[in-house]
Amino acid sequence: MTVKENILCSKSHEYVYEENGSCYIGLTDYAIEQLGDIVFVEMPEIGTQYSKGEIFGTVESVKAASELYMPVSGSVEAINEELIEKPELLNEVDFNEIWLIKVSAEAFEQDIKDLVSYDSYKKEVE
Amino acid sequence: MAKRTFLYDEHIKAKAKIVDFAGWEMPVQYTSIIDEHNNVRKNAGLFDVSHMGEIFVSGKDALAFLQTLFPQDVSKISDTMALYCQFTNENGGIVDDLIVYKLKDNDYLLVVNASRLDVDYDWMMLNKQNFDVAIENKSDVYSMIALQGPKSAEILEQAGYPREKQPKTFHITKDMLIGENVYISRTGYTGEDGFEIIIRNEKVSELWQLLLDKGQTFGIMPIGLGARDTLRLEAAMSLYGNELNEETTPPEAGLKWTVDKDKKEDYIGKKVIQQQIQNGVQKKLIAFKMTDRAIARHGYEIYHNNKKIGVVTSGGISPTLNINIGFGYIKTENNLKINDTIQIMIRNKLYNAQITEKNFIHKHNKGN
Repeated sequence: MTVKENILCSKSHEYVYEENGSCYIGLTDYAIEQLGDIVFVEMPEIGTQYSKGEIFGTVESVKAASELYMPVSGSVEAINEELIEKPELLNEVDFNEIWLIKVSAEAFEQDIKDLVSYDSYKKEVE
Repeated sequence: MAKRTFLYDEHIKAKAKIVDFAGWEMPVQYTSIIDEHNNVRKNAGLFDVSHMGEIFVSGKDALAFLQTLFPQDVSKISDTMALYCQFTNENGGIVDDLIVYKLKDNDYLLVVNASRLDVDYDWMMLNKQNFDVAIENKSDVYSMIALQGPKSAEILEQAGYPREKQPKTFHITKDMLIGENVYISRTGYTGEDGFEIIIRNEKVSELWQLLLDKGQTFGIMPIGLGARDTLRLEAAMSLYGNELNEETTPPEAGLKWTVDKDKKEDYIGKKVIQQQIQNGVQKKLIAFKMTDRAIARHGYEIYHNNKKIGVVTSGGISPTLNINIGFGYIKTENNLKINDTIQIMIRNKLYNAQITEKNFIHKHNKGN
């Protein structure tokens, strides 16, 4: 597995990276592993505006529902439609190849100050 | 500090994810809850259920004493038979649900929930009065393994216990296995055929390894508590602490079929339970399936016509049917029936669900 170099992770286990002016938000491999079989993903509506730290969706495993928090502020440009029908893809695909939502961030540089690199994140959780 | 079963090292070796359950460090899953679940339905699974309690009741008043504790008529079972029972309090509330095995006259084994073992033991001591009985909690001496799934009988045979000696459904046998005295019962908590084997702690690892080894060609897998929960949910078996508690009676919990309403002996809670059987109940347990895309969970509220009418006690996915299912209590005043629509409040939104028959998978083994 190759991890994208510009991935930044939050304490609540979301990641974000910027590509061609858009931000992609997903769930870390550690979070997916902890959840186990993922059976449902509740996505936000396109166009919804969220502040950093706000809940934008829910991911449910067999055992429990976990909320998803925005690592940066922004409005939702797209959701990963595939996950609505096939939430199990989160268990099957490399975590950084499967984003949840795409957002246009408002204050990216400001918002990422408390996020950490993937390597430091892994050290923290393991 | 949380307790560990004598199979703890086996779970770690198998890379199980460990969680705290009723004060025990137990495996919640080894590979995937869904794979483990499906494997029990298709082949077989091995469960460490050593956390469960074993209480032996013997002595000349054993039957008379047990008769005072349960709404079930313990006199109706003959030697080697099992009976699903509940301890009930003065209000008819359920102190625990359990299986009573009659080993022989005035010699019984009670297998109770781990989370209720101490309460159960105290309850029995409190109600012992002048009965001439010995109540022995041997939970620290024995471990317990459940072998469940359609291939269970073949696997047990391969492990050295031939078919002709295996107990029939809801029966128990005391016999030798791996040179050790064991209790083998044909019971379980999955809705599948299978066995529960009670064995001394010192020998449980050997039996665990033997069953995994002999079961390999039949596709056996070790199964964690995660799949144990989805399996029992599909098979419509109640979980103490979710569907059952001290504020809920057997008739409310859909357990009227287990109550012997013509039982002559007096038992704790009889008045309330008989009255409820005659006049009906204020709340009742229902099963439902989600018709909207959403998963109901323990504690979510149940609505009907925008009014709150109850609460979800267990909910989740059914890996076998690939739908979302659950149980909950609703008020009976709305006269809701099977096929009626209700709503579940999930993250401040109402989602439709339909009341269904209780047994989602239509299997017939009832157990604990």
